[in-house]
Amino acid sequence: MTDRILDISGLNLSFTTYGQRTQVLHDVSLNVGKGERVALIGQSGSGKTVTMRAIIGTLPIPPAKIESGIIQFEGQDLLRMAKVKRNRLKGTGISIIMQDPLLSFNPVLTIGRQMDDIVRYADVRLGKKQSSKLRKTTILETLQKVRLPEGEQVFDSYPMMLSGGMRQRVLIAMALLNRPRLLIADEPGTALDVTTQKEILKLLNQLVEEENLSLLLITHNLGVVREISDRVYVMENGHIVETAVRKEIFETPKHDYTKKLMASVLPLYGKRVKNFENSRQNDPKIEINNVTKEFSRKVGFFSRDYHVVRAVDNVNLQIENGDIFGIAGESGSGKTTLAKMLLALYPSTSGQIKVDGTPLDGFSDSRKFRKLIQIVYQNPGSSLNPKRTVTQALTVPLKFCGYSTSDIKTRISELLEMVDLPKSYASMYPHELSGGQKQRVAIARALSVSPKILVLDEPTSALDVLIQNTVIELLLRLREELDLTYVFISHDLSLMRNFCNRVAIMFRGQICEQGLTQKVFTDPQHVYTRALLSSIPVISEQEEQQKPKVTDVERQAVLTSSTTLE
Amino acid sequence: MTQPTEQTSTERFMTSRQMAWFRFRRNPSAIIGATIVISVIMLAIFAPIIAPSPQSAGSFVDFAHRHHPPTAEFLFGTDNVGRDIFSRVIFGYRVSLSLVVGVLGFAVPFGVTLGLLAGYFGGRTEFIIMRFTDVMLAIPPLAMALAITAVLSPSLVNAMIAITMLWWTWHTRLIFRIVKGQMSEDYVEAAKVAGASHAHIIFRELLPNCVSAISVKISLDAGFVILFGAALSFLGLGVHPPTPDLGTMVSTGSEYLPEFWWEALMPGLAILYAILGFNLLGDGLRDMMDVEV
Repeated sequence: MTDRILDISGLNLSFTTYGQRTQVLHDVSLNVGKGERVALIGQSGSGKTVTMRAIIGTLPIPPAKIESGIIQFEGQDLLRMAKVKRNRLKGTGISIIMQDPLLSFNPVLTIGRQMDDIVRYADVRLGKKQSSKLRKTTILETLQKVRLPEGEQVFDSYPMMLSGGMRQRVLIAMALLNRPRLLIADEPGTALDVTTQKEILKLLNQLVEEENLSLLLITHNLGVVREISDRVYVMENGHIVETAVRKEIFETPKHDYTKKLMASVLPLYGKRVKNFENSRQNDPKIEINNVTKEFSRKVGFFSRDYHVVRAVDNVNLQIENGDIFGIAGESGSGKTTLAKMLLALYPSTSGQIKVDGTPLDGFSDSRKFRKLIQIVYQNPGSSLNPKRTVTQALTVPLKFCGYSTSDIKTRISELLEMVDLPKSYASMYPHELSGGQKQRVAIARALSVSPKILVLDEPTSALDVLIQNTVIELLLRLREELDLTYVFISHDLSLMRNFCNRVAIMFRGQICEQGLTQKVFTDPQHVYTRALLSSIPVISEQEEQQKPKVTDVERQAVLTSSTTLE
Repeated sequence: MTQPTEQTSTERFMTSRQMAWFRFRRNPSAIIGATIVISVIMLAIFAPIIAPSPQSAGSFVDFAHRHHPPTAEFLFGTDNVGRDIFSRVIFGYRVSLSLVVGVLGFAVPFGVTLGLLAGYFGGRTEFIIMRFTDVMLAIPPLAMALAITAVLSPSLVNAMIAITMLWWTWHTRLIFRIVKGQMSEDYVEAAKVAGASHAHIIFRELLPNCVSAISVKISLDAGFVILFGAALSFLGLGVHPPTPDLGTMVSTGSEYLPEFWWEALMPGLAILYAILGFNLLGDGLRDMMDVEV
């Protein structure tokens, strides 16, 4: 590896906030060879993003301070380089693909205008001059490179007119506009659905080859790493703990932390898969018969016409006592709408939902109903009121279900014990707790009035993998202890494989396939299920082999295109 | 697999209250603002003790010292009937602050409640409340105040009523905007699922999230209320003489400009001082609590 494009050695970096100094990077050494694809992995807060920002020079100094170390790009020391010279490398030497394709655009400017700015300011930095016509040619060429054939239309579009996948492609094109040598990708595609993510990863791989780029990938998703890197660095608390070529990392990890990370990734196929079975007696807890939900909105202020969206389309489901019933689907498939109808937050347009044998109409406002079914939300940062303590949060459902003040107090300590939190946490505010702890509080709140059914709306997707598993273990334990039935809503199919006994796959408002988890995963019938399963990034070759095969034609039939305008 | 350690943020960082205090302390304008506001409040409370000539606050006449320029004895000079302007300014703060308390004491709870209701219920409630607010906002404030005080005869209480009728609208708008934003947070829905009543969600869940914005708005408002009250008095629609009021003092003093400049200037500076204090404090609080008003 003599030909290094990026070489970081002995980087120490600290932050000083409110008078306290915290060292975030400890002696970080990392290099990227020419044409090499290197991945930097670690949990959130491990220092990946700080490293990236040190490379591109966007760290706020102060509070950040580079204590010692060298960052060399093509042999030049970036940290000791004149500012003007370093600025010239932005976009032309090193370029970055932003994480979130939905937030990285200015919504009021056209794509073309935003791309043109990038070329124009790079020209200003380099002291070049190009006509606007020439710039447009460059932009259209670059859009071709990211497989957006309708370049002209994309050029004149506003960001909101493009799908998430297309926006991600445009972001990649933006990074490529000034022909960089090193591309840094920060969690590419993680904000998108798995099927789109797969296409984006494929595109990145092609581009690295075609454009002769070097790639530094920053991610926490090991499945993504396996698809798109040659060599891997593992970062923990600001230390690089292990580095090896991809095959070694995945087959023979050496450091404990790497092993822990590997073990925390849930398998889709193979021996490690846990099959969850429901051994309780059949007794339907939830019956959903021909339920449809339409949302309508007036087309215009003076118009009498309504624009109708059918979010849930003629759904039939039966959930038995003790089931962990998974409802899977991509964003916009209607799974959350269905969940909210179960909780009677939305009325259904037609059809009937029965909870514990009683139809929802008239029943849903009663205390009995609230004591029967509760929900745990995806993001505890949003589902817990930031201005109210743990005790106050837990008191609400108890108070409104008629508990007396002294009962509430004993019940709260019981609940905290149930979710493995110390009693002292009762007086804390949400911001004083970590993500996992907040989610435990949210679970405690849902369980406070001893419901029989819990709707889990992506309860772990806002958490780190390692924390995710402890929350899942907690949920499994509580199900046993309290005889619960779970309705589990998620887009994370690997988790669903190991956690649910039955699943239903939702596709454009309809249930396209349902059955026992094992059966659906090993022998999927519907094309969409197969396309979905085949897109999930996995961490071993054996699993890759066992995934269902889908032809490109089949894929295109069921997936929203990320390359053409609708 | 071992249980990963989950650190609470308190172990490594300060609590948010400490952080807010840290930010406040490092903000010189906030410190200056707070000092000024406290000094104004103290002066108003202890006016009879501090004022060198407490009798100047009433209908006191001392023709021997009329139009006396500022000296050590008469810090701000004396007015056309020989009253000590410094003493009158201190007593004038009493009037100004009672105006602030009276106006905000009514306008804030009223405006905030309407904003909460409009934001929480949405739909027709929102339409009625917010359109009514818009209508009130469309009336030029001074014209409205003139109309009310002209009908009700000029006095401190009537000036208060006039200002209050205009002031609540801004709070309604501010709170409405915040609540609309908070409504998309899951905790509101979670409270509904828990069976909480409307009153609980509005006053226990949503209101605490508006408190920082309200406190910033109040401290910024205090300055403007003083200014508005002074403007009304200047036009002769506020406090009756001989009660010392800063606006009236500027108005009377201006008749003797430029010769006896201190008679208008000193009360004017006193108004400036108080407003500056409240505005600096408001800005400081805004930086500290990170809210937009």
